[in-house]
Amino acid sequence: MTLDVIEPAVFAILSIGVIGGGVAVVMLSRITAAALLMALTFLSMAGMFVLLGAETIAAFQVLIYVGAITVLILYGVMFTKFSDQPRALFFQRQTPLAAVFVAAVAVPVVIVGSISFAGGPARPGGGDLPALATSVFTDFAFPFEIASVLLLAAMVGAIVLTKRDDPEEAAARRRR
Amino acid sequence: MPIGPFGIDPLIWAPLRLVIAVALALFLVLNGALLQIYLERKIQAIIQDRVGPYHVGPFGLLQTFADALKLISKEDVRAAATDGWFFVAAPALVFCPMLASWVVLPFAQDIVGANLNIGLLYLTTLGSMTVLGIVIAGWASNNKYALVGGLRSAGQLISYEIPQILALVSVVLVVGSLSMIDITRSQAGPFVNVLVLPFSFLIYFIAALAETNRTPFDLPEAESELVAGWLTEYSGMRWGTMLALSEYGNVTVVCAIIATLWFGGWQGPGVDAIPLLGVLWFTLKVYGFILVMMWIRATLPRLRIDQLMAFCWKGLIPAALLNIVVVATLALAFPTTKVPIAIASWVLVVAFIAGIPFVQRRRLQTLRARARAAAAPAVRAAS
Repeated sequence: MTLDVIEPAVFAILSIGVIGGGVAVVMLSRITAAALLMALTFLSMAGMFVLLGAETIAAFQVLIYVGAITVLILYGVMFTKFSDQPRALFFQRQTPLAAVFVAAVAVPVVIVGSISFAGGPARPGGGDLPALATSVFTDFAFPFEIASVLLLAAMVGAIVLTKRDDPEEAAARRRR
Repeated sequence: MPIGPFGIDPLIWAPLRLVIAVALALFLVLNGALLQIYLERKIQAIIQDRVGPYHVGPFGLLQTFADALKLISKEDVRAAATDGWFFVAAPALVFCPMLASWVVLPFAQDIVGANLNIGLLYLTTLGSMTVLGIVIAGWASNNKYALVGGLRSAGQLISYEIPQILALVSVVLVVGSLSMIDITRSQAGPFVNVLVLPFSFLIYFIAALAETNRTPFDLPEAESELVAGWLTEYSGMRWGTMLALSEYGNVTVVCAIIATLWFGGWQGPGVDAIPLLGVLWFTLKVYGFILVMMWIRATLPRLRIDQLMAFCWKGLIPAALLNIVVVATLALAFPTTKVPIAIASWVLVVAFIAGIPFVQRRRLQTLRARARAAAAPAVRAAS
């Protein structure tokens, strides 16, 4: 038994995590369970990145998607109306139709992929931190900056949209 | 057949090493929690002029063992309306990331679970996962106190994570590595990082107090307002796992990060001759910071939630950003010497501490003006 056996086994477990978690997120009608399973999906994706030798990307995946986005979603869920009863949303009645569409996309991808995809072994060093940082700040500096400007604009917009005047101050201004 | 350490096949050695590391980490977490609870009680007792635990064992040393036995043997109480799976899963979700972060803590020269080249990033990643368990615990308890406590905790942890990570960045900028081993190695000799980067240490320490729910930031468990926050519905060993093990484990991890990044980790006199001495220095440094945290707990009152958030977003995060800009600029301008960075950092520390009274006075003035403006129409109506 060598590492060559362990790697596909780990890959299989992670694939089940990604695909099973993803399907469950869509199928479940309990929103908190869906959020937790989404965290599982992200964690399995991070495991995939580790398997490919990109530990840095795996760490960022967990840091941002599990640590921030999932928590934010749960945060949002808890501020909405407090009932977690399973309830059939309108789009969840279309499961058979959705399955047909998914099959229409997935089956050709699998067939084409298994026939024509002859990917070489993963290039090591792609997830290495210095290499990653150098490429982000040299080759991809412009997209990187554009993305940060976009995020800044979104943040300012969110503040402007949700900012409410202090009721006391507004009342005082009206009296004046 | 290749032969690994101790003449064991590497293929068997790799999982064996993992098992040993996990067992050791569990051992340290369990005993560390017992010791720290005892220390916390004794130190608070000394500061508050009491005796503290003294019945069980010499100096009350066995008190926490007795408490642990009590917790384990307690009946597993669960309210009927709690959310089954989530309620059970939440303690594990809080506990596991904390346990996993022990893997990269460098206890001595070669005594470390794994030398990851992204060790620091790994630690912050695991630190951010704890929130998930806390939110789930608050939600699954089906209790308003627990829910509010969980939400507060999530808000607090997400907010204070930002200055925490920003403070780490400046150390990484100066050292040039994310590996805990490299960071320790770079601080050989008496000139540890805290002399170069005191400002980032200050920011990290404040944020770490909040991140581990220690006073003055222990809002999620504010007894006077929220019973026990997100822990309200938990009892027995579930409560013990959440509070005792996870909280004190996290405190240890955070103090280990502080000791490694700013105080030279296992570096100390005589380490080159006897490498095992590093364990002693590391443990002493870590427990030194734990004692400081306990001292703070016995000294300071609790903040209010809006003060807590305002302090993070208006105070700590701008300060941390300023720190990064200054350190990065000086590191680029003077690549060979650390002296300018040290001078600038100390100036920032002095300015930060000296600036607090001014900010406080202005805040009080605006508050008084607002109160006067609110009271004025009432006075006019009465006259």
